[in-house]
Amino acid sequence: MAAGPAVEKIVKEYGNKVRLVIKFYPYKYRDFARISAEAALAASDQGKFWEMHGLLIRKSPQLDRSSLIGYAKQIGLDVQKFTLSLDAHKNAGIIERDLKLALELDLFNTPTFFINGRKVIGNVPFAYLKKIIEEELNAKKK
Amino acid sequence: MKKALFILFISLFLGQASAETKRFTIPLEGSPSLGPQDALVTIVEFIDYQ
Repeated sequence: MAAGPAVEKIVKEYGNKVRLVIKFYPYKYRDFARISAEAALAASDQGKFWEMHGLLIRKSPQLDRSSLIGYAKQIGLDVQKFTLSLDAHKNAGIIERDLKLALELDLFNTPTFFINGRKVIGNVPFAYLKKIIEEELNAKKK
Repeated sequence: MKKALFILFISLFLGQASAETKRFTIPLEGSPSLGPQDALVTIVEFIDYQ
């Protein structure tokens, strides 16, 4: 899972004070976890990662190949290029790399956040994310 | 007992924040990113869309 609304709210509220970085941790027993990650990266290759990212979160769990191609069309991607990327597992390298890192870090849940390196596990509420971010911002002020 | 309580009170007062104060270094190159590279706070999110 990804923490859609809470994280969106954080980004909206804190603007340039925060940087959000996405890493992929597809659960191996979820059929569409990996192909969705491929879709996100295929969109990224065409400069529309965040559009696809938001759409995947909202549309989840409707993440089968046909649906993904539909989303690509919806956000104005070159659909042929997108489909080729998906089928060729063009971005498997990045996914594998992130997955390996997640396993090294012993992560067992998604989403897992690292806020200035501090681990926060699960779909925590906006208020909790905000609390940690405020602590980090205050620490930086000193 | 009183001393323990006193120490506890002082620690809380000094603002010992949330439990998770261990910090992990996460490599960020090659991952989709939003916001300035030198932002005060970096949020790394490990996700599964499904």
